[in-house]
Amino acid sequence: MVNTNTSALGIIFPNSYDDLVPEMVTERTMASIPFGGRYRMVDFMLSSMANCGIDNVTIVVKRNYHSLMDHLGSGREWDLTRKRGGLNMVPPYAEAGVKMYAGRIEALASVVDYLEDQREKYVVMCDANIAVNFDFNALIEAHVKSGADVTMVYQRSEIPEGAKGDNYTIKVRDGRVTELLSNDFRPGVQNLSMNIYVMEREALIQMVRDASVRGLVYFERDLLARNLELLHVQGFEHTGYVARISDRRTYFEENMRLLDPANLDALFGQGGPIYTKVRDDAPTRYAMDCKVKNAMVADGCIIEGEVENSVLFRGVRIKKGAKVKNCVLMQDTVVEADAEVEYVVTDKNVEITAGKKLSGTDTFPVYVKKGHTV
Amino acid sequence: MKECIAMLLAGGQGSRLYALTQRLAKPAVPFGGKYRIIDFPLSNCVNSGIDTVGILTQYQPLVLNEYIGNGQPWDLDRLYGGVHVLPPYQKASGSDWYKGTANAIYQNINFIERYQPGYVVILSGDHIYKMDYSKMLDFHKAKGADCTIAVMEVPWEEASRFGIMTANEEGIITNFAEKPKQPESNLASMGIYIFTWEKLRKFLTEDEADPSSDNDFGKNIIPNMLKGGEKMVAYPFEGYWKDVGTIDSLWEANMDLLNPNVPLDVWDDAWKIYSRNSGMPGHHISAAAEIDNSMITEGCRVDGKITQSVLFAGVTVGEGAVVEDSILMPGATVEPGASVKYSIIAENVRVSAGAVVGERPEEMDDLDKWGVAVVGEGITIGKNAKVGPKAMVVKDVKEGEEQW
Repeated sequence: MVNTNTSALGIIFPNSYDDLVPEMVTERTMASIPFGGRYRMVDFMLSSMANCGIDNVTIVVKRNYHSLMDHLGSGREWDLTRKRGGLNMVPPYAEAGVKMYAGRIEALASVVDYLEDQREKYVVMCDANIAVNFDFNALIEAHVKSGADVTMVYQRSEIPEGAKGDNYTIKVRDGRVTELLSNDFRPGVQNLSMNIYVMEREALIQMVRDASVRGLVYFERDLLARNLELLHVQGFEHTGYVARISDRRTYFEENMRLLDPANLDALFGQGGPIYTKVRDDAPTRYAMDCKVKNAMVADGCIIEGEVENSVLFRGVRIKKGAKVKNCVLMQDTVVEADAEVEYVVTDKNVEITAGKKLSGTDTFPVYVKKGHTV
Repeated sequence: MKECIAMLLAGGQGSRLYALTQRLAKPAVPFGGKYRIIDFPLSNCVNSGIDTVGILTQYQPLVLNEYIGNGQPWDLDRLYGGVHVLPPYQKASGSDWYKGTANAIYQNINFIERYQPGYVVILSGDHIYKMDYSKMLDFHKAKGADCTIAVMEVPWEEASRFGIMTANEEGIITNFAEKPKQPESNLASMGIYIFTWEKLRKFLTEDEADPSSDNDFGKNIIPNMLKGGEKMVAYPFEGYWKDVGTIDSLWEANMDLLNPNVPLDVWDDAWKIYSRNSGMPGHHISAAAEIDNSMITEGCRVDGKITQSVLFAGVTVGEGAVVEDSILMPGATVEPGASVKYSIIAENVRVSAGAVVGERPEEMDDLDKWGVAVVGEGITIGKNAKVGPKAMVVKDVKEGEEQW
């Protein structure tokens, strides 16, 4: 058989780090948080996998996954509607006696039988709290070359304030991980884990089975960290662009960072395209006498007022006389006539009524909940 | 079995669009920022509940074929029905190009019969409009017609450019004249027909047997049915409709999208126009840019000044560049300091720094020499080169040279 695809299957954990942005995930998962004008967080990992020929992807969902199911559908937009493999969503069984999983090992235990039936040699796993155009093939190649049991991806970065209570950092010597720390809070640049892993499928099955009978919960803390001498865990540094959501403030900042065309190029210009659910919006309409400076704007918007330093998602309406400055306005937000908003993040379908003034600060942007009218 | 299917005539060369249709058929010409012309009739079909569409192609079909693909962007990937591209093909009795619009349908009688339709809608692939064909079909059935032709009132002075219908008070067509010098009515045919299939099949077969026929709907089928005493009614349409078969009308129709007083609304969620998606991220407007009354879509990077223009996906306009009253098709680049006015710039064209394309009519001494400038696909306009108004550029213009 012609080997057209990478011999790896993908597993994505969409609910990881939900706790970091509680108000944004009341009705969704981390993976379905809108990001970068027209995307959802999951689009980046899913597209990266699809672009690398990984066409068998399992999403192990935990809770609040309606919006994610609606977004992913049959996986067609990512070219993952396949007879063999394709996109596969695994919700938890709602049964008495089956408890909701807490850690990655428990989550994997629920799909271990499924993993046994697959044919791919390798498994790549990741979360959806980082937007990155990632080359999985380079990772798998490095993994195979090093002969490691597990390869994990890290970036050289300071630990974001919001993630200080929920992160993994590693110490690496000659490429090999010698120490894995949980909830590191040291200042300065560290080897911050991106929670992207690759290993052989058979090895993962064995690990999960062994860990389950021992009652282990967390893949990193309970399994990898304790066995760094037995297991060969290799570190793989990612040097490309990374947008990491670790609280509301970084959500705002990471969107705003895309106002720099160099960052737009770094995230979208290299590697393959990032796919998302198509909405069939018309192009954005800039009305007569509108004023727009430094903005990233998706399709379907109608702008009659003023916009400066802002990210506008699909279908946003800025009415006449309205002023929008330093804002992230998610899809279908309406800013009515003469309203003024500054340092505001609006979720989906928010309406700012005529003449209202709303402002936060650069370190504390105001967040308006999905569907709210101000 | 399907109640009604659509046949879309998309084989025309579009020779009056010359530089724009060198490598693609007219229905595949980009329109309105993120569409191609064919998106309008196709979207009208699905929005009207018609899920089976045959697209008749002949001239330069590659781009169109790839664009239509399996029809998924229009929801036309169906188990039974859906969209089918129908080029001429070889038969046991021989093979033939499509000789005319009627012959194209005649050669695909077998395709139509697979669905045993009661009615067939015949559409053109070069008109921009939004229309509910299901209402027209209701009208056709209520009138007990054999053929219903969509018509709209046009200014009397323009009537001689159209196929003109004369109808009585009940809407029954009594006369039809193709581009009459002295029009007796101002009801113009929009090139949208609904036929009761049994009747159309009969007339197509008869027309094919007539060696002197042009095998054309307007010239042969409609007059023959009228002569044959069939019941033909005019379906009055109000709203926006434009034939975009010429450079001027294509430019105007794009500009109409920017005019709030023109009833062509592509932002209406109730009647979406679907298209194949570029998949690019949102566009970026820099701090140096100025935008006024324009349409901009995904993947664009704007650092220059855009006035009254339509930018397609992935267009780049550099700092200090000026774009006025123009259409920039996908992937076009206008480098810093270049000027593009009253122009249509086709896909992947590069207008180099300091180059000038087109001119405002107000700046012209001799208005007869003025017109929309057109630069064909993939052309490079060199640094400080000049392309005059009304020019049709199909070859690269070298640095500093002029083309009129």
